[in-house]
Amino acid sequence: MGIIVNIDVMMAKRKISAGELAERIGITPANLSILKNNKAKAIRFSTLSALCRELKCQPGDILEYREDNDSE
Amino acid sequence: MDWNKDKSILLSQVCVVIFATLLAAADIGAYWLVTWFMEVSRTLSGLKDGYLLIASLYSCSIFAWILLVNLWRLLGNIRRDKVFDPTSVKYLRITSWCCAGACFICFLSTIYYIPFILISVAAGFMALIVRIVKNVFEQAISMKVELDLTV
Repeated sequence: MGIIVNIDVMMAKRKISAGELAERIGITPANLSILKNNKAKAIRFSTLSALCRELKCQPGDILEYREDNDSE
Repeated sequence: MDWNKDKSILLSQVCVVIFATLLAAADIGAYWLVTWFMEVSRTLSGLKDGYLLIASLYSCSIFAWILLVNLWRLLGNIRRDKVFDPTSVKYLRITSWCCAGACFICFLSTIYYIPFILISVAAGFMALIVRIVKNVFEQAISMKVELDLTV
C-alpha cells in the first residue's frame, strides 16, 4: 500500500466539503480527488502546507504509512 | 520566413506523401524498374531473370507501407499534441520492427546480389536508432504520468 492519504477523515472532522477545500488550498477539485483516492504519485510541500493550514492538522494526520505486501 | 511547429509537421507529412507516391510507383512499375536495373548493372548480368529482385522489392515494400502509415499516424499524434502517448510508442515500435524486417530481407538478398548488404546495414542501423527513440519516449511517458499525478 505504501503511503495512504487520509484527507477524507480530516475533512469529515472539520466538516469541510471537497470543493471548498480545493478552493481554499488552490488546487482543482480533480487534483483533490486524485489525492483523496490515493492515485497521486507525489505531493508538493506547498500543497501539504496548505492542507495542514486549512484542516488545522499535522502532516502525520493526513499521511499514513502502511506495509507494502506486494513489494516483498 | 515565419517557420513554426505546424509548418514543420506539414513538411514532414508532405515528405511522407512523396515517399508513399514513390513507393506506389515502384510497386506498380517493379517489372520495368528491375528490367532497367538489370540492363545497367553489370553485376547482375549473371542472373537469368529478375524474379528474386522483384521478390525482394515487394517484400521490402510491405514493410515500407506499414512504416509510412505509422509515420503518418505519429505525425497526426504530434499535430494533436499527443506526443507522449502510449500510441506513439506503439507506432515507433512498429516502425523499428519494419526497419528490422527490411534489414533481414536485404540480408537474405545478398545471396544473389551482394550490394544489398549496404541497404541491410543501413536498415538495421535505422531500426536501432528508432528503437532507442522508442525507449526514450517510454521513459518520457512514465515521467509525464508521474508529473501529472503530482498534486
